[in-house]
Parts: sequence; C-alpha cells; structure tokens
Amino acid sequence: MSLLGPIRKLWHSIYQAIAPRTHSDVEEEFRSTLDCYRREDLIGQGLPEEEARRKARIELGRPSAQNETYRDAIGLRLFDELGRDMRFGLRALRRNPGFAAVAVLSLALGIGATTAMFSLIYAVLLHPFPYAGADRIVNPVWIDQQHPDEWSWFILNMAQFDDLRLAAPVDAALGFNPSHMEITGGGLPEDISGVYLTENAGTFFGVHPLLGRNIEPSDAENGGHSIVVLNYRFWQRHFGGDRHIIGQILEINHAPYTIAGVMPRRFAFNDTTDVGDVYLPGSLMRDLANVPYEAYIPWLKLRPHATLAAANAALEPIVRQFAKEHPERFSDRWRLALQPIIVPFQQGTGPTLTLLLAGVVLLLIIGCANCSILLLARGRTRQHELAIRSAIGASRWRIVRQLLVEAMAISSTGALLGVAASYWLAKLPLLLSPASFPAESVIRINAPILAFSVALALVCGILFGLVPALRLSRHDAARMLPGRGVAAAPARHRWSVLIAAQIALTLLLMATAGSAIHSFLRLMQMPLGYDPANVMKLGIMLHVHDSGEWSRIQSREARTAYIEQLREKVASVPGVSMVAIAADATPPYPGAKISFAISGTREREQPQARVMLVGPRYFAALRIPLLQGRVWNTDENARGDFVAVVNQAFATRYLGWSNGMSNALGRQLRLPALTGQGRYAAASAQSAAWRQIIGVVGDARNDGVDRPVLPAIYVPYTTVLPSYVQFFVRTQRDPLASLHSIRAAIASVASDQQVSSGSFNGTFTLNEAIERDEQYSRQRLFSILFGFFSAMALALALVGVFSVVAYTVAQRTTEFGVRLALGAPRAHVLWVAARLALVSTAAGMVLGLALDSFLGAILAHWMQGAFAAGSLFAAAALLALSALLACLWPARYAMSVPPGEALRCQ
Amino acid sequence: MTKPVELPQGTLEMLILKAISLGPLHGYGILLRIQQISGQRLEILQGSFYTAVYRLERRGWIKGAWGESENSRRARFYSLTASGRRQLESETAKWTDMAAVVAGILDKKADEI
Repeated sequence: MSLLGPIRKLWHSIYQAIAPRTHSDVEEEFRSTLDCYRREDLIGQGLPEEEARRKARIELGRPSAQNETYRDAIGLRLFDELGRDMRFGLRALRRNPGFAAVAVLSLALGIGATTAMFSLIYAVLLHPFPYAGADRIVNPVWIDQQHPDEWSWFILNMAQFDDLRLAAPVDAALGFNPSHMEITGGGLPEDISGVYLTENAGTFFGVHPLLGRNIEPSDAENGGHSIVVLNYRFWQRHFGGDRHIIGQILEINHAPYTIAGVMPRRFAFNDTTDVGDVYLPGSLMRDLANVPYEAYIPWLKLRPHATLAAANAALEPIVRQFAKEHPERFSDRWRLALQPIIVPFQQGTGPTLTLLLAGVVLLLIIGCANCSILLLARGRTRQHELAIRSAIGASRWRIVRQLLVEAMAISSTGALLGVAASYWLAKLPLLLSPASFPAESVIRINAPILAFSVALALVCGILFGLVPALRLSRHDAARMLPGRGVAAAPARHRWSVLIAAQIALTLLLMATAGSAIHSFLRLMQMPLGYDPANVMKLGIMLHVHDSGEWSRIQSREARTAYIEQLREKVASVPGVSMVAIAADATPPYPGAKISFAISGTREREQPQARVMLVGPRYFAALRIPLLQGRVWNTDENARGDFVAVVNQAFATRYLGWSNGMSNALGRQLRLPALTGQGRYAAASAQSAAWRQIIGVVGDARNDGVDRPVLPAIYVPYTTVLPSYVQFFVRTQRDPLASLHSIRAAIASVASDQQVSSGSFNGTFTLNEAIERDEQYSRQRLFSILFGFFSAMALALALVGVFSVVAYTVAQRTTEFGVRLALGAPRAHVLWVAARLALVSTAAGMVLGLALDSFLGAILAHWMQGAFAAGSLFAAAALLALSALLACLWPARYAMSVPPGEALRCQ
Repeated sequence: MTKPVELPQGTLEMLILKAISLGPLHGYGILLRIQQISGQRLEILQGSFYTAVYRLERRGWIKGAWGESENSRRARFYSLTASGRRQLESETAKWTDMAAVVAGILDKKADEI
C-alpha cells in the first residue's frame, strides 16, 4: 500500500496533464456560461426570462455541440471521426450479414493462411532454437572435395576438444556423444537414447530447466556424478509428467542415476543426430567398460563479432592436425566448414516453405480481389447514400476515407478470425511432414507474428478498399440523386480486371496443385523393387552393458547362434511367414555408402556403393527378386566371408550386365573398410578380403523413394557382427497385431532380451518407413496443402463471379423486363446478363495459362515433375466449367423476370 | 459607439492571456472583460473564443478550476500558469515591437523619406 499510493498519485497527475477533459465537464462549463449570458446580459437588457433563455440558446448553441468545439480545438477531431466511420462501417456490415460474412471469410482465409505460414517460417527458419546465442553456434564438419554436397561430423577426444575450445574465435565449446541405452530395473528393458554432454552444458545452452537443475561443471568431480537430466517428452512418456521426480533414482544400463532436472518442452537436443531422452555428464564416459577414448562431437559458440570465414581459417590448421593423428576418420581431400546449426533445416525446409508461402500469398490476393468485387457490387446499391453525403457537403476525400475505414473494418475482422485460425493452420504442415521441421521449433502466436498480421490487415484493407473507394467517390450528385437505385454507373472494366486476375491466379494455383498431386501419385505408383506391405522391423539390442551376459555372447559364433535362435523362435510364431536378419538395412534408406574395389579393374578412384549387411532370408522376406545366380546358404552365412550379392544397378554399371547376358557371376569384389572397428563389433576372419559375386538381385529403392537406385552390395551380416540387429518380420496380416506374441517368443529364449518397441524408437512397419521419407512426406505435404489452397481459391473465384452476375441481374431487372416485353429471345437476355463475367473469365483463363507456362519452368526447379500438361488441362477444364455454372446460375434469373412486375418496380 | 474592430489572426489568444493576467476569470467573464477593456469595440465570436480558451488550456498556459462565481453559482475559473505568464510577456514584447515598426512605416510622409 505504501508503495502503491505515490504511484497512483503520480499516475493521476500524469493522466490529468495529458487526458482531455470529460464531456460533462465541458458541457457544465458551457451551461454556466449560458446561464451568465442569459442573466447578466439579456435579462439585464430587459428581456423577459423566457425570451432571454431562447435568445441565449440561439446565439450560443447547444451544450453538446460544445464538446465538438473542444475536441476540435485540442486536435482530437480526426480520431473522433475515424471512430464514427468505424462504427458506421460495422453497423453497415451488420445490416448486410451475407455480404459481410462472404467478405470477411474470404479475407480470413487468406490472412489466416498467410499468418500461419509466416509463423511457421518464423519458428523454423528465423527462430528455431531455444539456445542462448543460437545464431553464433556452429557445427564443424568436414566436406569431401570429391562429393562437395556431403558433409561429415567428426569425433574428438578430450585433448583435441580442448584444442578447439581454447582457439581464439571460440567463445565456448560443447562436446556431446549420443549413445543407445536401456532402462533396466523395471519389467522389460526399455530402449532409450542418451546423450553425454560436457559439464558446461547448462551455461552453453542457457536454457532454464523446467524442474531441478542443468548439468553443472561440479558434476565432473570424482569422475562424474551419477546424475541424469530428462528430456521433456521422455519425462511425459515415462513418468507421466510427475513433478515430484527430482531426486529419485533412474536405473540405466544396470546403474543407478539420480534425476537432477527436467528440461522444458522446447529443448530437444539434438535433432540432427538423435533427440536425447536423457542427458548425462560426459565425465561418466570414462567409467564405461570397453570405451577406449572419450569421444565428443563438438558444437562451437563463436565470439560475438567473429566471422565464419575468419573462424574457419583459424580452426582449419587445428583440425588438419587431428587428421594427421587419425587419418582413417577423414577422406583424402577435404576442407573444414563451420556450419551454423540452422543449415541442415534451411537446406531441407527453406524451399518448401518458400513455395508454400507463395501459395498462400496468391490465396490472399485472390481473397482481396474478391472483397474488391463485393465492395464494388455493394457500392452500386449505396450510390444513393453516397450521393446524398456529397450533396450535403462531404468532400471526396471524406467519402474515400469513409469507404476505406469500412474496408478496414472488414479486413480487421478478417484478420482477427484469420489469426485465430492460423494457430491451428500452422500446425498442419508439422503434422503432415514432421521429418522436415526441427523438433525444437514451437509454433506460437507472438509479438512479431501479431505485428505481421496487423500490418497484413492494413495492407489488405487499403489494397482491396482503395479501388472501390476511388471509383464510388467519383460522384455527380445531380446525376445520381433522381433515379434512385437504377443508375447504371458502370464499374465494368474494373470488375473485368478483378475477375480476370482472380481467375488467372486461381488457375495458377490449381495447376500447381494438379502437378503436385500428379507427381505424388506418380511417387506412390512407382515400383519400389520390394514389397513393404505387412513387414515390420524389430530392433534387437544385445546385452553389452551386462558383463555376465555379454561374456556369454561376446564371441562371433556364440552371438550368431544366439541371434539365429531368436530368429527361429520368432519365425515359429503363428501368423509370421518369414523373418530376416539385417544390420541397419531398412529401406528406403538401407545400409551405408562404402568404397569398394572390383577385381580386374584399376583402383584409380574409389567408387562407392550402398553396402547392406543382411541374412540370406532378407531378399525373400522383402520380396526382392533374384535375377541370376543364388543367395548364400546357411553355412556361408555363418562364415561370413568370400561371398557377396549385388543389385542390378551395380551389375549394369560395373560388370557390363544387361538382361542377364554377362559373366557377372564369378567376378570378385572387396570392401576394404569392412573391418570390425566398433566397440562391440566382431568381424569375421577375412571380412575385408576378396568376395565372389554369387548372385544378382533386382533393384530395390535405396536412396529414398524418388531417387534412382544406387549400386548396392549385399554381404552376410555375420561378417561384421554388431551389438544391434534388426529382424524384418513378414506376417500374414497386420504385423503389429502379432507384436505381443513375438515379444513373448523372444522372452521365452532370454527373459530380459530387449526389443525396441513403439513406433518412436524402432518398431515400425516398412510402410511407415516410407511415410517418414523426406521426399515422400514433402510431396504429400505439397499435394495436400496446394490441393487445399486451390480448392479455397476456386471457391473464392466462384463467389466473385457469382456475385458480379447476381448484382448485375439485380440492378438491371427493369431493363431485362423491358427487353423481354419487347420480344428479346431469352438466350439473348441470358447472354447480356452473363456477358461481362464470361468474357473476363475467358480472358483470365488465357492469362492464367500464359502465366503458368511462364512459371512452369521455375516451379519445375522446386518440385520434381511439376509441369504436367494433363493436370494443367484438367485444372483449366474444371475451372472453366465451374465458372460457367457460377455465371449462368444467377443469370438464369434474368430470363424469368415477369415484364409486368419489372415495370411496376419503377 | 465607435466603430468595431476585427482582430488579426492569433491575437485573440494574447488578449485572453492578458485578461486572465489581471485575476482569475470564468469563460464568460473573460469575454466580458475583453469587451469592457476595449470599450465594446471588439466583437468576439463565441465559437472561436472557446476554441482559443481550450487550446490555451491544452498548452498549459492557463489552468481551469471549478469555483463559485460572484453570484454564488458554479463556474470554471481560469488563471495564468507560470509558462502562460512568460508566453504573455514575450507575445506582448513581440506585438509592441511589430506595432511600432508597422506604425513607424505607415506614419512616414513623403517628405520624410
């Protein structure tokens, strides 16, 4: 209270100083003046009381009028008038609910869609990360000079990491290491993704934790405190968002960790490798069995004024030194690039969003044109009112202002609805194509977005309000007044221009949608080379963390036997028709690119192929046809060496294979990089030695669903046996239905064998894998959203055409009646009524076709197979037909005007 | 009665300030006082008079407060503020200068130049 009192007093005095006087205050003063005048002057002059009162009124005016004088004197008049115009505009809208609804909705659509797209762009490209100084954070990568569009992250040990951290342009450095982990101690082990972070993580990210604390430098003491910080989604999923969880114990890999904090929803480090479920102090890595070195991927935060080029130049020599220490981790010729962390998303998402933004802007322009058409049409019925206004002295500017304010009333209402709708609309692309957007970008209505939509509303209001306002304010009062409502001041050529523009843009949108849908359909019908239906992927993580279990299956033979035992058990489950084993061979992006050599060719350059480690049943389970030769048998599979199968693309490109007419079989190849380098991998005796090609299989998509199949080599998975394998399970019906009995079968072999479950981290069908494919989901996004945009545009354009014809008919009822009475053929009357709209629609179609063929070349650059003549003509035909209907439906009424009634209207 | 005079643009505000400088007055009182000092030769229009009063108040040169009039009725009395007083002084000086210069020119006879 003691503080509030003075503040209130201060506010009061400021308010007194700036606020205008109240109406009643001004009026009261005026009354007292009136009183004085009456008493002292008039009665003093000897006028009788009544007479004096009357005379005072006449000479000084009404008290209420004094307020106008007052507000004019202190410069508030413009505001008052604008407010009055606004109220009048809103009242006029209420009187015409049909008109208002159509106009407001056509704008709300455009503004909503544009705001949604802007907020998406804001969230994804302008402000996607929650980290402090996110624009200064870079990810050092090396780029192979031979393949400049591919880049690789690199791993550092602690000493190397310190070298980078202490380099001049670097403000701070974060090291992280993503690892597969499992939660133990409960019923079934649960597969999770953990990220070790250097202990400066809290200050580096600068993100305030939702609960508890961040990882802190003190966590590095004594070889690392056993604490864990949880990701928001993991906390929701695993703990149901329990807020009392801080201090509790979470068992990971059979060791207890104290839960120290929970991160907020926006923090989802790291989207490019794998979003961590839990974050742990990096010093703990020292204690882990079988970890020969600390391995960190670095993120660097540059000093505020360091440029990328300068930092690059300063760091390159340091990284060159690393390459000397570990030449096997770098290619022969490479260069360093400091990549701002936004880059991976800009490359993937930027063009998509630009194209979508272009689409919504077109929609907005069409909506504005529609409002202009409606205002012009309504203006014709308001000419009488406007004529009276100008006859009693309103200036042209005053009338333009009135009409513009009315347009603003429409556009602000539209913007209000649009912003509300944009909240949901903005989430649509995220739902349709989650892989294209960073997990950390949160769509929110915030100040920049609100400012954007307010500006949009103003611009739109002026855009669509100005043409009708200028047109309608040009009045000749004498000409307008006498013939109430029949004056035919044609706004015709403005109408024609607006309709033609609307139709042209609509055609453009429809054609784009048509080609997007066309290419998506093409994508869906494209032969995959394998059959994804009813195939599910299971992740089997072997027990690397349980030393007792691990020693039992550490040898390659024992591990192979264990995996095969599991496979047989799963294959025996009713409903399962086939089970294949593989290590990371999930189409449409199976395997890894590895260099190979073929016997009898010079090893001048190292060609690369997709190499897949699979079991012999892989081809049958995925229904990849065998074209020539054979697949390795069980014995060869156990041995792992000396055999390989290649795909048709490989045989064609490197072995001169065509339609089976070649001696591809018997040739030899080798994969020098295929050695057991990983922590837990067990390599066969001669995994990098020469292998005989024993079979050729058909091409199955291996570089995404829409790109050509790359040359591929299949070798037995036992040749480099990792600690993680996949089972591809083909079932007779929906594979997920058998998931439960499959789990039971696995548990019957080893009760604590972990099977990664749930579609978020492992078990999914091959059809889901296709849906997650970036090209696939982007094409789907385009075809759905552009389909939606063009449907909206079509609806708007049809409303525009319809209302022009309907207003024409309503205005000229008498004329049509007279024409009919004088014997005009009904078809002729129909033509007269619809002529304007039909001609301008036709002009718009021509314009649209020209525009589309002009832009087609540009669009083709953005979307594969964008220009398709078939879909263009389908769109044009649909538009023409529906525009014709929209013309003739209201024009039809002109034919049925009873002449007598039409004349009586006069 | 002598001939009425018309006020040049902007002088009304100066006159109002002057009238108030002699003591607080309500609106109608200001009007009466100006007319009285001028010997009834100034005809001031109600509309422009109040516009001027409101503008002066808005600028902070005069201040209005409710009080009792001589015949014990409620009225709004205006008084000069400090900045209003300064304004009046500078305006008066400006006016006197200008009037002297203009009068000097107009009074010249042909033989004096």
